[in-house]
This record gives sequence, structure tokens and C-alpha cells, in this order.
Amino acid sequence: MNRFDLFNNINKILKDNLVICNIGLPSQELYKINDQPNYFYMLGSMGLSSSIGLGLSLSQKKNVISIDGDGSILMNMSTLATIGNRAPPNYTLLIVDNGTYGSTGDQKTFTNENTSLKNVAIGAGCKNVLECSGEETANVLSRAIEDQSNSYVIISKIKPGNTSTIPIPLNPILIRDRFRKFIGLVPFL
Amino acid sequence: MKISKKIIDNLKKGGVDFYLSVPCKLLANMINILEKDKDIYYSAVPREEEGMGICAGAYLGNKFPCILMQNTGIGNSINAITSLLQFYQIPVVFLISYRGTAGEPVGAQVGMARITEDLFKILRIPILHCSSEKDLEKISTFSKHAKVVESPIAILCDFNLMKDDK
Repeated sequence: MNRFDLFNNINKILKDNLVICNIGLPSQELYKINDQPNYFYMLGSMGLSSSIGLGLSLSQKKNVISIDGDGSILMNMSTLATIGNRAPPNYTLLIVDNGTYGSTGDQKTFTNENTSLKNVAIGAGCKNVLECSGEETANVLSRAIEDQSNSYVIISKIKPGNTSTIPIPLNPILIRDRFRKFIGLVPFL
Repeated sequence: MKISKKIIDNLKKGGVDFYLSVPCKLLANMINILEKDKDIYYSAVPREEEGMGICAGAYLGNKFPCILMQNTGIGNSINAITSLLQFYQIPVVFLISYRGTAGEPVGAQVGMARITEDLFKILRIPILHCSSEKDLEKISTFSKHAKVVESPIAILCDFNLMKDDK
């Protein structure tokens, strides 16, 4: 199972929640499967999906799922310490760990060698750190969202590989405003 | 404490209700005040760039965010500022201890001080430069301006203004 298969599998779960999606192919693949106003596509700022989702979950009550990659977490590893100390129960971080930088040509990341993001997350103080296969992820993710008392970090171990996509054809202000409208903050659109 | 209290009071008057900090000696009093304030959200954050991401999320969730940091933190955050905060037009207040200005004892701070205001100019980020107590009164109006221009704005607090705020 690769990222695109995984997204097809979990799309039903994502649909009802606020989703922050990582830059590049993850956002483009999610867009290809199903575009929704409650999906915030990152068009830049690699590494910050988990952080944007954390700020959002601290600011309002709806469930937030940050979809991040192994390469992006490695770029902003202090995020795991912040999540380990500050994440509220409505926050779930889903790390799609395919061991490669998929958007830049499938170069291998360190999770392919000696680094375990599960161990890093636990060491950083994250509670409810669950590592699972791509096939198990839909189940694990829905249980995490149903649990209203705890935040989760899920590491979904999948195979590398990408689907052919186009750049997200949406203006950043449109992404911002329809997302805020979904939360109930922007009266127009 | 008087200066720090005035800064926080004015930020709150400007509507800022979500605060993060990456520490600086000159920000220590403000951090103490924020830690005890139950009306707002406050947390430390390990790195400025990460803080920019959290601030962006907080704005999406209807908070008005501020990050307290040294001017060195701008050097750690340029990509997040341009490709996240500015690209999506997200208002954030940068409350900055302006290290490397007159009074600064640490030579290494001077490098970022030399380019700080030029960086903001290149980034088209509005600056409020505070060098005396009187300047602090402009903070609340200036903060509100961030929401109008839908942009990050920067408040620079000089070393000499902050250093005696015991």
C-alpha cells in the first residue's frame, strides 16, 4: 500500500474532520481523490503541517487531523516535543511514513535506516503513539478520533510510490477562507 | 516589570489572545506575566519557525496570535513567513527583543541586528520600532492593523528599553 492507496482508504474518515495536509504530493493526491473545504492544503512551508494542526486544535473544539510525512517530521522534529506537552484531545497527528521524500524524487529518509519516529515521539513525551501498517491505519485512525479524551500520534508504515497529479489549482486565500467558513468563521463565500 | 506589563496590556487591548515564546532574557518578564494570565493562551515553543506554523493554525481557529522572540528568530523563519503567513495572508504579531542594538554586550547578536530592519523592508512587513516607553502606547493600534492588512507585523523593542525593566 502506498500513500495514494492509504488516502483512498481513510478518505471517509477525513471527510468529517478538519484536515491539514502536507505540502506537495500528499496534498495533490488528497485533492485528486476528493476536494473538500475542510481540507487545508499546504502550498509551502514544508515541515509545518503538524504545527498548523496543533495551533488549530488549541484554538477551537472540532477534531483536527494533521497529515504529515516522515521527511517533514524530520525537518521539524521539535514539533513532537511541543505535541508531547501541549496537544489537546481533539488533535491527531498522522505520519505517513514511506521512508522517502516522495515529492522530491523518492530520495530515502533516515526512517529507512536507523531512525524510529515512534521512539522519537515517545521520547518527546507524546502519549498514545501507535505504529501500524497502511492496511490497519483506517481502523486505528477512527478509534483515535472517536476517543474524545486523548490526543494521538499515528505512524502509518507504507510503501514508497506516488500517483500522477497536478499542482493544486486553488488560490491560497480561497483555501483559507473556505476552511474558515467550514469552521463557521467567515460569513461570506 | 513596568515596561513588560505595558507591552502585554497593549497587545491584549489590540485583541491578541494567543501567545507563544522562544525565550530571551529581555522577554523574561513578559513570559512570567503571560504564564500567569488566565485570559489568554500561552505556551513556550522550541523554535521560531515551528511557532509560525502554530500561529497560522491558531488564526485559522479564530485566535489572534503573537510570537515573542529575539530578532535572531526571524532568520530561522523566513520561509514560513513568506510561503505560509504571507501567502495565505495570516495576521501574526511578532513581538521582538531587538538584540544587537545599543547596550548589547554580546557581539554575536550584532550580525542579525544589522539586517533585521532591512529584512522586514524586503518582506514588506510593517514595523513598530519602540525605543522609549512612550512608543509602547502605539502597540494596541498597531496590532489591530495586522488584521486589516492581513499580514504579519513586527514590534521591535530596543535593548536599552528592555534591559532595566526589573
